[in-house]
Amino acid sequence: MRKRVQTCLLLFPGLIIFGLFTIYPIIKLFVMSFFDWKIGLNQTSQFIGFGNYVRVIEDTVFHTAVGNTLMYAVITVPCQIIIGLAFAALINCITKFKVTFRVFYYLPVITSWVIVSLVFKYIFNNEGLLNYLITEILHLTNNNIGWLDRPNTGLLVAQLLGIWKGIGWNVVVFLAALQCVPKQLYEAGDIDGCGNFKKFFYITIPHIKNTILFAVVMLSIGAFNVFTSIQLMTGGKPAHKTEVILTWMYYKAFEARDFGYSAALSFITALLISIITIIQFRVFKND
Amino acid sequence: MKMKKTISIFLMFILIISIATGCKSDKATSSNGSDESVTITFWHHYNSQSAENKVLNEVIIPEFHKKHPNINVETVSHEWAELHKKILVSTSSNQLPDVARVDIAWVPEFQKLNILKKLDSEMKDFKEISSNIIDGPMNTAKINNNHYGLGLNTNTKILFYNKSMLDKENIKVPTTMDDFFEAARKMSKKDGKQIWGYGEPALSGWNICPFIWSNGGDITDKEYKTATGYINSKKTIDIIQKLVDLYKDSGMIGFNSGDIPLTDGYGQGRYGMIIEGPWKFAELEGSYPDFEPMTAQMPAGEGGSVQVLGGEDIVMFSDSKKEASWEFMKFMTDKFAQIEMAKVGQIPVNKEAIDSEEVKSIENFAPFLEAIKTAKPRPPVSTWPEIDNEITSSITMAMLDDKPVEEIMNELAVKIDELLETANK
Repeated sequence: MRKRVQTCLLLFPGLIIFGLFTIYPIIKLFVMSFFDWKIGLNQTSQFIGFGNYVRVIEDTVFHTAVGNTLMYAVITVPCQIIIGLAFAALINCITKFKVTFRVFYYLPVITSWVIVSLVFKYIFNNEGLLNYLITEILHLTNNNIGWLDRPNTGLLVAQLLGIWKGIGWNVVVFLAALQCVPKQLYEAGDIDGCGNFKKFFYITIPHIKNTILFAVVMLSIGAFNVFTSIQLMTGGKPAHKTEVILTWMYYKAFEARDFGYSAALSFITALLISIITIIQFRVFKND
Repeated sequence: MKMKKTISIFLMFILIISIATGCKSDKATSSNGSDESVTITFWHHYNSQSAENKVLNEVIIPEFHKKHPNINVETVSHEWAELHKKILVSTSSNQLPDVARVDIAWVPEFQKLNILKKLDSEMKDFKEISSNIIDGPMNTAKINNNHYGLGLNTNTKILFYNKSMLDKENIKVPTTMDDFFEAARKMSKKDGKQIWGYGEPALSGWNICPFIWSNGGDITDKEYKTATGYINSKKTIDIIQKLVDLYKDSGMIGFNSGDIPLTDGYGQGRYGMIIEGPWKFAELEGSYPDFEPMTAQMPAGEGGSVQVLGGEDIVMFSDSKKEASWEFMKFMTDKFAQIEMAKVGQIPVNKEAIDSEEVKSIENFAPFLEAIKTAKPRPPVSTWPEIDNEITSSITMAMLDDKPVEEIMNELAVKIDELLETANK
């Protein structure tokens, strides 16, 4: 009994903070999403039921934002996993400098999103490093290419940044997984006359399947939360063509003061992420 | 032993709770005595890159403190766009400052949110104070015959040009719209590094309105009730088309995400002309001290030479500490502070300050004071920020897509009409 009291006492502060700063805002946001939320003093918000949800679903910019976000996920997640796994497998083969390589790949992960976004902006600007290389050094073309000015290339730059920044995390995760694969299996494979590729596909991959699933789910959720890089590099320009879900949510809440809309949008996003995660779990389970 | 453990856990718990609640500072609601000291917060967007911020904190605030030893002013600096957001967010959580320096374009919106104090009915000496300020800026905070702020500084934009580039092409300084477009085309070159005749940092109302107005077009009617027939009138479409053509012929640039920033482009001789405000001098002085900026009035079209009226008001929020805030607002709009700010590029609105020798000797101000005579404010409606966003999106589409300008402007008119209706509810 006394133990129980002690446990409760110890849990209590954490629970209070969690409730106050996580649970309460979520509930409040849920309530908000059904109102035409007004922020002025002495102004009453109107209950409009699913009105905000309908507005979000009918909004063309939202469609663009979802499309861009999905595209971002579809490109960055597989690329990060494939490249990360390849590097992890290579690092796993060597005996010297393992730690050095791991640190080297992990550096982009620990740098701040803001800093690297600005660095990438600097590289891809019209008068940036890349255009300088193309026009002045390699003489491929005489005109600067507006990487950040066009919707497609602007998003491409953000995807590149996402991949480059995410590889290190994957390398570290997969390295840990690879070291758990029993050595005997590889030896058995040698006896059976398997080549390296066969060993990789028939022994390594099945053994680290769960880690891959974990990485896919984490990276997908991460991809849906892409914000800083887009906000800083293109800001959704031109004409909201490079918005992703979060930049659009931010814009609607803090620029257009449309809090009800943004609240509804955040729940729709949560629903989307849940659906995608469930599908991923199913797909991996059936194998 | 057990007892000890329980007590220590309990103490820890108390500690955490007290830390969590201790973060919340309580706002003193009012000051009743004159010998009590009061602290007021002042949010502003004085530029920290030029000397504005320094003058505020090192000259003006200490001087104010000398005069009113019992009032402390805490200044908080924001970026221009951030300040707008911050005020909106703080509105919902009821954490507004006492006084703020706000863009004149935001005042109608904030008034609609019910967060601004009606100065004329609350302050006894309002009439006397407001009579020291010139009418134009004073009226920027006037809504339905009530005043919600004091004019603090005013500005508009004029044409900055690169003299050596004009001379090289043998062109005179453009005074008409046609000359302007011709000059921009002639100056644009591609030998070695690309040069553009005209740089424009964005495509919002602040940037586009002057062209529309000078060409005789408009955004809405005089009553701000409808945009149809104004934003999609022949004169408006015509000038937007000219700008689009200029952009497509590589004669104009600056508003894309990857473009050279305006000050750099102009200072390095990559942009032949820009249209900017009085703060540009200080920025150029900081980054390109050897560069000699030359100025002229906005080129005139059928509607004359019409620029956009900018500037800031100083406002007080609904539950501010009234007396102390009012003292500070009076001080900021009084001669001393106005002259000090004028020295770093803020055009004063106080009549005495404008007539003072110090301000008259600032030669950079003359063309702006000329331009202010014909400058127009952006539509003072509460939904202006959203209208502005629609304008930006539409003009961007006109520049980058191949959709006809007329079609884009017709669609824009419908959107703006809806937003005007919301504002007039």
